[in-house]
Amino acid sequence: MDDQGCPRCKTTKYRNPSLKLMVNVCGHTLCENCVEMLFVRGSGNCVQCDTPLRKSNFRVQLFEDASVDKEVEIRKKVMKIYNKREFDFSSLRDYNDYLEQVEDIVYNLTNNIDVENTKLRMEQYQRENKDIIQRNKAKLTREQEELEELLLLEQQSNEQRRLEVLQEEKRQLQAKRKSKQALLDELEQSQLPATILLAQHKVRAAQLETQIEQQKQNVKPTSLFSTGIQIGQTVSLQPLPRIQEVLYQYKPLQVETYGPPAPDLEQLSRFGYLNHVRTAMPQDTAGGYTSALACYRAIQDAFSGLFPLKG
Amino acid sequence: MFHNSSQKKFWTFKNEDELEKMRCMANEKFRRKALESGKHAVSEALFLERYEEDAVFRHYERRLLDFCIAFKPVMPKSVVGTALMYFRRFYLNNSVMDYHPRIIMLTCAYLSCKVDEFNVSSTQFVANLLQETPAGQERVAEQILEYELLLIQQLNFHLVVHNPYRPMEGLLIDLKTRYPTLENPESLRKSADDFLSQAALTDAGLLFSPSQIALTSILNSASRAGLNMESYLTECLGLKEDKETLSKLYESMRRMKTLLKKYELPKQEELSFYKQKLERIHAEFATSSNKRKRGYEEDGHVAKEPRLTEEVGYFFPHFLI
Repeated sequence: MDDQGCPRCKTTKYRNPSLKLMVNVCGHTLCENCVEMLFVRGSGNCVQCDTPLRKSNFRVQLFEDASVDKEVEIRKKVMKIYNKREFDFSSLRDYNDYLEQVEDIVYNLTNNIDVENTKLRMEQYQRENKDIIQRNKAKLTREQEELEELLLLEQQSNEQRRLEVLQEEKRQLQAKRKSKQALLDELEQSQLPATILLAQHKVRAAQLETQIEQQKQNVKPTSLFSTGIQIGQTVSLQPLPRIQEVLYQYKPLQVETYGPPAPDLEQLSRFGYLNHVRTAMPQDTAGGYTSALACYRAIQDAFSGLFPLKG
Repeated sequence: MFHNSSQKKFWTFKNEDELEKMRCMANEKFRRKALESGKHAVSEALFLERYEEDAVFRHYERRLLDFCIAFKPVMPKSVVGTALMYFRRFYLNNSVMDYHPRIIMLTCAYLSCKVDEFNVSSTQFVANLLQETPAGQERVAEQILEYELLLIQQLNFHLVVHNPYRPMEGLLIDLKTRYPTLENPESLRKSADDFLSQAALTDAGLLFSPSQIALTSILNSASRAGLNMESYLTECLGLKEDKETLSKLYESMRRMKTLLKKYELPKQEELSFYKQKLERIHAEFATSSNKRKRGYEEDGHVAKEPRLTEEVGYFFPHFLI
């Protein structure tokens, strides 16, 4: 954050790292203090581009580059109007064209290209598609509500689980204490010798432990899978449609060389070809070179295209 | 490999007549272009005939070979072979009257060094032109760079050339391994090499595959030494059954030997006459057809005014009509 200074008071940003930068609609940054300063005097003009501003238009900067913030703001406003969804369109192509339109508008507004025309276009679109916009707005709010409900439910269930775990622990502690107390009482009152009492107590403690273990392992049966399907709900168990394709058969590559067949690379040494080639030096073999490679290349070249074409 | 190379597909022709036709067409094309350009002092006698073009071509080819042999550092044989092939291919579709062979031959050598990964910088390259001053060498370097793209284009971007040197090595290895009848194949190497260098100065590379040329060279040197190698062909190459291929092979070998026999260097006096004619034509037409274009636009030709530095153009008064 240090690379950006406030353009007005310059130094304050570096001195005070906790100071936040604010961005306005024209995409220029000002630190909090300067914003206050600017509006104390009642005048509201941007330092760099002199556009008239309002204090409410300043938002805390989220991105390092202020122009990104500006674009984010513009995009939010545009998306409020252009809020069609994918299934509103008949084909993917149309949807993509629509998206490209939106991007063009955002780009134009961000870079101050053709602002008048763009605004006119926006207004026109707004007028034409008023009802669709309303419907989508309603849908959006509904979706958001649903999401929030789900979140709430999750939170609640988390809370509950936590409480239950706490209670369990308390109960266990209590049980342990009770058994200890019982032991002490018995030691006081009963006639049996102490060793037997201790042995009994130990058995009881062990039993308690196993009980606790078992309880821990007792998974509470849920009614819902994580994907949202109810447990026990019958799901269609039809087999998936099988897509049979022709299996791939490997056929080795046949190449027409127009000449006699050349021996394979591996057979070269067996047939004695390598005796007539310069042996590879240790420096060469280190790189992976073998004399068979050069021999093979020479033989292939000698036989390639040797026979004149028939006909 | 040769069997699926562009050389086999596009630059191997059936017979010498086809080649002659292509060269005639190139000649015609230039004549038409020159006549249409509407210059006044144009007459038919000014143009080079086919045999004159041939003589000039062979002369400059020889000079290219000498240049490559005298090159420092030593140029590998494949680079020389590639350069000669480029030169030959270029003048299959273009006339010597259109582009002067002096520059084209240097460009061929330069390109061949690049393609065959024989690393020579352009300054090092022109330093081999010993008869030029350093300033002249620089100018030549510029010219080479200007013509390079044209050369590549006229080669139709088919830059890989398969030379017969490696097939010859392969055949020698095969002989040593599979053909004990022949005692010392190494003795054949020297004369086979000579055969190959001679073949590079003929149209053999455009008519036959490099392995055929190599085989011919070996059989030729064997027959010179009085050894019969027929059994190699029938046994080792598996041609005992295939009489047709065998006879075709012999046929092509015969044709190749004829080509080599026909080769001769042009005579000096005629040559100087033709060269003067060539210079005259270049002086006349090169200036008009060269619009100095810095970028390679329009008809894609990079044209440049020829520098008449080495061979001074004589303007013989008695050539004017």
